[in-house]
Amino acid sequence: MIQIAKDKTAYIDGTPHLIGEGESLLNFIDRHKGRGHVPTLCDAPQLEPYGACRVCSVEVALEVDGPRRTVASCHTPLTPGLHIFTESEKVNDLRRNIVELVLTDHPLDCLTCEVNGNCELQSVAAKVGIREVRYPQGRNHLDRKKDLSHPYMTSDLSKCINCSRCVRACDEIQGQFVLSMHGRGFDSRIIKGFDTSFEDSDCVSCGACSQACPTSAISDIFQSKSIEATNHTRTVCTYCGVGCNLEVATKGNEVLSIQAPPNAETNGAHTCLKGRYAFRFYNHPDRLRSPLIRREGKLVEATWEEAYDHIAENLNRILKDSGPDAIAGISSARCTNEENYLMQKFIRAVIGTNNIDCCARVCHSPTAEGMQRSFGTGAATNSIDDINETECMLVVGANPTQGHPVTGARIKQRAMKGIPLIIIDPREIEITPYAKHHLQLRPGTNVALLNMFSYYILEAGLVDQDFVERRCENWEELEAGLKSLDLDEIEKLTGVDRQEVKAAAIEYASAKGAMSFHGLGVTEHSQGAKTVMLIANLAMMTGNIGRRGVGVNPLRGQNNVQGAADMGAQPHQGAGYLDVTDPKIQAHYEEYYGAKVSGEIGYKIPEMFEAARNGDLKSLWLMGEDVVQTDPNSEAVRAAMANLDFLVVQEIFMTETAQYANVILPASSFLEKSGTFTNGERRIQRVNAAVEPLEGTKPDGQIMVEIMNRMGYEQSACTPEGTLAEVAGIVPFFAGATWEGLGDNGKQWPIQEGCESTTILHTESFKRGLGKFHFIEFKESSEIEDNREQFPFILTTGRLLEHYNCGTMTRRTRNSEIVSKDVLTINPVDAEVKKICSGDHLRIFSARGEVTLEAEVSEEVKPGILFTTFHFPEHMVNNITSDVHDGDTMCPEYKVTSVDVEKV
Amino acid sequence: MAKVKYIAGKEPHAKEHRMIFRNVDREGWDTSLATYQKEGGYKQLAKALKMEPKAVQEEVKAAGLRGRGGAGFPTGVKWGFVPPNNTKPVYLICNADESEPGTFKDRYIIHQDPHQLIEGLIISAYAVGAHLAYIYIREEFPEGAQILETAIEEARKQKFLGKNVCGTGFELEIYVHRGAGAYICGEETGLIESLEGKRPYPRIKPPYFPAAMGLYLCPTIVNNVESLCHVKHIIDMGADAYGKLGTPRNTGTRILCVSGDVKKPGYYEIQVGKVTMGELINDMCGGMKEGRKLKAVIPGGSSSKILRADEKFTLKQGDKDVEIGIEDIPMDFDSLMACGSMAGSGGVIVIDDSRAISWVLNNLNTFYAHESCGQCTPCREGSAWMKKITDRIVSGNASPEDVDTLESVAYNIDGKTICAFGEACSWPTEAMVAKFRDELIGDTDGKNAKRPVSKETQEAAKNLKSLTT
Repeated sequence: MIQIAKDKTAYIDGTPHLIGEGESLLNFIDRHKGRGHVPTLCDAPQLEPYGACRVCSVEVALEVDGPRRTVASCHTPLTPGLHIFTESEKVNDLRRNIVELVLTDHPLDCLTCEVNGNCELQSVAAKVGIREVRYPQGRNHLDRKKDLSHPYMTSDLSKCINCSRCVRACDEIQGQFVLSMHGRGFDSRIIKGFDTSFEDSDCVSCGACSQACPTSAISDIFQSKSIEATNHTRTVCTYCGVGCNLEVATKGNEVLSIQAPPNAETNGAHTCLKGRYAFRFYNHPDRLRSPLIRREGKLVEATWEEAYDHIAENLNRILKDSGPDAIAGISSARCTNEENYLMQKFIRAVIGTNNIDCCARVCHSPTAEGMQRSFGTGAATNSIDDINETECMLVVGANPTQGHPVTGARIKQRAMKGIPLIIIDPREIEITPYAKHHLQLRPGTNVALLNMFSYYILEAGLVDQDFVERRCENWEELEAGLKSLDLDEIEKLTGVDRQEVKAAAIEYASAKGAMSFHGLGVTEHSQGAKTVMLIANLAMMTGNIGRRGVGVNPLRGQNNVQGAADMGAQPHQGAGYLDVTDPKIQAHYEEYYGAKVSGEIGYKIPEMFEAARNGDLKSLWLMGEDVVQTDPNSEAVRAAMANLDFLVVQEIFMTETAQYANVILPASSFLEKSGTFTNGERRIQRVNAAVEPLEGTKPDGQIMVEIMNRMGYEQSACTPEGTLAEVAGIVPFFAGATWEGLGDNGKQWPIQEGCESTTILHTESFKRGLGKFHFIEFKESSEIEDNREQFPFILTTGRLLEHYNCGTMTRRTRNSEIVSKDVLTINPVDAEVKKICSGDHLRIFSARGEVTLEAEVSEEVKPGILFTTFHFPEHMVNNITSDVHDGDTMCPEYKVTSVDVEKV
Repeated sequence: MAKVKYIAGKEPHAKEHRMIFRNVDREGWDTSLATYQKEGGYKQLAKALKMEPKAVQEEVKAAGLRGRGGAGFPTGVKWGFVPPNNTKPVYLICNADESEPGTFKDRYIIHQDPHQLIEGLIISAYAVGAHLAYIYIREEFPEGAQILETAIEEARKQKFLGKNVCGTGFELEIYVHRGAGAYICGEETGLIESLEGKRPYPRIKPPYFPAAMGLYLCPTIVNNVESLCHVKHIIDMGADAYGKLGTPRNTGTRILCVSGDVKKPGYYEIQVGKVTMGELINDMCGGMKEGRKLKAVIPGGSSSKILRADEKFTLKQGDKDVEIGIEDIPMDFDSLMACGSMAGSGGVIVIDDSRAISWVLNNLNTFYAHESCGQCTPCREGSAWMKKITDRIVSGNASPEDVDTLESVAYNIDGKTICAFGEACSWPTEAMVAKFRDELIGDTDGKNAKRPVSKETQEAAKNLKSLTT
């Protein structure tokens, strides 16, 4: 018999078990006897211990025969040598009595209840053995009305057992504080907001309450806790780069509902309303269900064979007449790694050009570029889970609770625990009230502000000299540059008081560990990549690299934008970021692909449009990109599309761009395909088909393989295991990744031996050897330089929680009932001058064009600044955005447009 | 000290020992700082500030002061629970949420001698190292809150509060915070939640022991109004002299609030343990009302377990066990505990033979069901069920088995909830069922029910019917 040290054991019903660190009695019992051995009603793994239902009570004693005490096991810390009695007559009696009391005020309509068979009250009642309820009818709450006001959330509080799990989920997971308990004692009841309906409350529909509720007191229209489903599939959300794991409940070939798996490392039992509820686009009547070919100016239905023939014929014609560089492809950050890999392989190995790009161009290409120049790797240095360890958070140009809701909620939770949060953003955003510092700069002046920020770190003597000397290079250039700054000028440019910047800089630099997050407010600028390098500077000069709770962490936009770039969907680097111009690399690719590849850097997206307009580019293949609606200066994009000889669009819906297509191929949605997505923390996660592809559609990977074969290249079928293996053979940091090895929670690249994760990059040295400092001088965008006289306002754009990008998917769900339009935010001072009230229709015009939007007067923006979202393309906000791009990566400057505004 | 003259008709009983209540009902006395200072007010503060904080703590510990709020826990020991390596701010909270039925002592201190409390509070804050103190006063004392605000303002003007208390460099601010009308806010962690602006759900312990993780998760000491006043007197007299008041483990004086069926209900400050229940009722309170006999006493606030008039109790006197009757019980913490009840908050409720226990119990159950915060299931549902059952008993619609059910509900609340409200609401039922079972069973039957005697109680019983379905 193995002897276990006495100070490491405790006894469950007489049997010794090894204790874990920091365990509660309930954790300990759950771990050794299985969850449910001790029943509970108010405890949930994703929530803090609460101790209110008392069903988890156990008896404890210091000696086996010593005096016993009854304690709630969920919040009582385990001490070595403790004897725990989980089934004594006393606790059984107590549990029975509690459940009996609860049942006196619960409708016993189990057979018709939506959670029948999956009700925790039902299970606990069964477990404790209730056979009768001794209390005759008394006053009860069975007459409470259902609340069906909301597009997604429902409540039937007659079924509430007052466990407060929903309240705690709202507080502890989302941080929205919508739900609370009203009244006291027997009269206490759950309310939303100030006792309103779900619809009228501030609910953000994350569904955490519904998932946490042990009964059906709070649920959703999809009845996601019912056991009606015949199958559950774990997959990954298709919306943002957080990469939430989803558990999709299906029956037959229909998706019934979606929940968040409690053990998901990325999102543990949480998602936002997009992930959880906005899935009904997948079988929407608008889905494309047949290939379409343009014949005599009209798009007409065709068979797949006809479509492939037509494509092959035209591409071969163009290849023959104009060569491979007259063809380009834009891959999709919404598709899987495998599909992106195949797309770039098709363009490179089959067509023979490097004219391949993806939407990272218009979002985080500056991040990839900037971080590669500073660190050598263009990806998040740390993991999202590090938020739990960090001592300071810096959020630059991002609105995480809207754009990356689950990460946003975690940042908010951490800030609420008193960890300082610094926000650098032109707007007051949802997490601003939780921030210790908000540097509300004028859009377009990130570089100036971050220079000042760095200056004050230097001035305060908070530079980590040891780290700088050991791990970095080019410090002298930065130091000299910072010392030469004109702070008066910067103050004027940014509109931010230098003392505020100083205080924030000191906060960041003196924290034990500081973590930065940035979004498109950093990248979508004329100095986008340079701003990223400045953020990298901050991390390096303060030694915030290579440990838990630190680093530079871009909040990647699309679900697989990290993966699309990893797979080589960019014109200068092939799969695995290898330089296409290097002959050795070229040979390496040629050997792997068994085909000739080009050594010339191809077109970036804006260059493709340019080339299309001037006739150099004849054909474009778009995999799930609606460039007309989403790229800036729409008129110019339309002109490009119109001027193409042959446009192929792979899509799930008809889009503005698809209207220009010569061939449209109906693709499958994420719920209908398998493969992998890589989230913003480099985590390669398994996507599993929950349903069969909608009739008439094919997964994008299959389409790519079929066209490759049709064009004469032998490509094996796209399968999750097989194609991943092919990717792993060429992408260095995927080496060793296997479908099996990725497991439920995925693995973070670079994959280590045995398919293990790398959670933190640059721990010992940087990918590029030494981290490189860059001094960057601020340069005003030409958009402002050229237009500020005529168009004195600056328009900046952003996102809303409820919608995704141009709304192709979310607007085909009930999310559009929650938010149904874009509005223009204007400061009250400007509104007064312009005689504008909320609700007025406004004309916003720039050097390119004009749009009409409804006004919302708000102090969220400073005077002179306007803000709008871009989810409703009918407003055509991109009619007015400019052609200015990031000087390094050609990422469009969506965030700064010189405009003027007037009441219509 | 000069002999004190009291308002005619409100003179203390000879067996009283007025210390905390020295100035209550005193002729010519008012709540102003000037009046307080005339009698040497704030001299004890000056004295304490010359001592090391630790020495003040030691003095209070040595004096044997036990908390006057209900639990009787030694105040000095409680102060010592602030972690020694603490780097966070320490808060001191005065619990003026005096809500226990039958208890009305703190109100008089606040209304008539607010500076005594403030002085005690400043000395205590100094002792525990707090620079911010709160007086959490129940909503139902609006006048008291106003009096305290005024007194604090006066004290601040005289530099007894503020950045530089008495020129010593010690810094302290006191804020008055008014509750919103909930009994549970008297529970210290519920009070802390309420003070933080939240719903006053008591906190789970562990981990939220106030001395380590209290207000804003910082070390926090919560003391009762009367306890804080005693601190001033301990500094005045010294621990030795103070400790000679009362009896060895039950030192000092305490104020008993007598209500119920006695001729002269009211407050009586006694040396702890130096007065027996019999002396209190028969002598100090003038005995039972005409023609009535003592039936029972609830000795320490409404939640304390009832004592029957004909019960026999065993007390240790020296090494011997002595059997005594109710009238011989010394009014102190340990004796009342030995008799199966507690000294609690000092609220002595005297019940005569005209009262039906079912009605008494229902009255208390109504209170506790209304005041259960609703957080823990056994208490939320159980307190409501106990009331539903006694509603039925009082209205004569119950069955004898109901008494067993009542008892089982009570035992499944007691000790099984997050806070001590579980005990508070179940003890009356436990004790009354145990000691008056036959009477309660008798009352379940409408025909034989011992109806409450007074018109008011009969009305109350009638009104209850609307609540029983």
